[in-house]
Amino acid sequence: MILDRFKLDGKVAIITGGGRGLGRAMAVRFANCGADIVAASRTLDQLNETKAMVEAAGRKCLIVPTDVGRSSDVNAMVAATIKEFGRVDVMVNNAGIGEDSFGKTIDQISDDEWRRGIDVNLSSQFFCARAVIPHMLKAGRGKIINVASGYGLRGGKHNYMYACSKGAVLQLTRSLALTYAENNIQTNCIVPGIFPHNEAMMKFFKGGKFIPIGRPGNDEDVGPLAVFLAADASNHINGELIIIDGGGLAGGVVPTGVAPGNPA
Amino acid sequence: MADLKSLPAGLKDFSLAGKTAVILGAEHPVGRVAAVTLAEAGANILLASQDIGAEAALKETAKAVEAAGAKSVVQIQRAAIRADLAATADRAVKDLGGLEILVLALDTPFYAPVEATDDSAYDRVMDDNFKSVWMALQEFGRVMLNRGGGAIVNIGNVMADRGVPNASLYCAAKGAVRNLVRALALEWARRNLRINLLECGWTEEPGSPALEPGEFGERLIKYLPYRRLLKPEEIAGALLYLASPASSFVTGDAVAVDGGLLCRV
Repeated sequence: MILDRFKLDGKVAIITGGGRGLGRAMAVRFANCGADIVAASRTLDQLNETKAMVEAAGRKCLIVPTDVGRSSDVNAMVAATIKEFGRVDVMVNNAGIGEDSFGKTIDQISDDEWRRGIDVNLSSQFFCARAVIPHMLKAGRGKIINVASGYGLRGGKHNYMYACSKGAVLQLTRSLALTYAENNIQTNCIVPGIFPHNEAMMKFFKGGKFIPIGRPGNDEDVGPLAVFLAADASNHINGELIIIDGGGLAGGVVPTGVAPGNPA
Repeated sequence: MADLKSLPAGLKDFSLAGKTAVILGAEHPVGRVAAVTLAEAGANILLASQDIGAEAALKETAKAVEAAGAKSVVQIQRAAIRADLAATADRAVKDLGGLEILVLALDTPFYAPVEATDDSAYDRVMDDNFKSVWMALQEFGRVMLNRGGGAIVNIGNVMADRGVPNASLYCAAKGAVRNLVRALALEWARRNLRINLLECGWTEEPGSPALEPGEFGERLIKYLPYRRLLKPEEIAGALLYLASPASSFVTGDAVAVDGGLLCRV
């Protein structure tokens, strides 16, 4: 029965950036499918809120304050997971920064801002994969889910670190996928379109009115996709980018908001 | 029908209870998997053939759906005939009371060097792999739009995205469907009708050149990341994701079920 293959009963999932936004939505959705959660981020208050939500769904939640841009923190996060649960079945590399830098001109971006962004958005995903793969190899199975962005596939005006780091995440996904294909570790990538998390971003993206489907993404939209990629139902999907953007990357003249040949 | 009442809260978006699904090309192995999958998720099922002469294979699909605890209606038709497609869409609404999901499993593989492909082969390959899909989307799209939308999943394969020698015409037809899906996704995005492509990797199915004895099959297997062919039933998860409200913010996308092959080529 196909729906049984979407269940996450007994699995343990680490979710970086688990204190808010997409990360929290995935944590709660995973818990509602039977998984225990390790939520990691820098902000303890937010992690505590996620923990309460996961526990309300009847699952365990370990919170680990972590700076994912530092490999020592990441190694400690995975060690804490193994100590608590003895396993890690799913690694969700969701933490990311830099949307607030959209629109900064090239001369306004310092070396530190560039490097910090690359560390958090890209290096973190490498560090996390490196830390969990030995455990997944030992278990003979595993799922790595990287979160990129539509900006990993398209350019943006005054958009450097974010587009570069997210584009690199796609390549990290492909290389991990090919390397561990025969070890039953699947690595896939969620490519979200526009998911504004505050009023400023909502304004920057004009309320999402140019998105083909007619609305921006809600964090909850990503939950079922993450469940699918974490579950046995996706065991033959590997190295794949799944674009969840209301049709944005399907192309063409859509950002103009009008179609050719429509009666005026 | 499957017991959907005991579904975990996190999987409610994957339920198709109360919806009606039509599978075109239900005599093919992947069409059969689609039918059983959607039936297990609670949909009412109409099985329609790609071509006439498929009675026995369709009956087998109907049996598989019944084994999954559901009933199905069977319609023998030719997907290359517009009137047949229109009649099948009408029958879904009249006999099953709805039409919320359409799965296109229309496929006629064709392998030959370009210089050995004559005009009659061109017409046949394009009719069976592209024109049938085009007409089905017109006829079913009209009905689905009038009824408030739904979800369409086109089952193709990785040749929609990559070239293969001695398969130029087949690749062209598959690639045409890929971009048709993108454009229609945009055209229908604000009318609540989503359309996506599921791309199979090299599949274990009758007639596949990968199964013929010889160098091609042997080398291909070594080249595949999983070192084996895709079994038709392994598309079930991706199919249900794309056909159900679980993917309500996904349209115009292609999801490859290929073990990672597209990462390599």
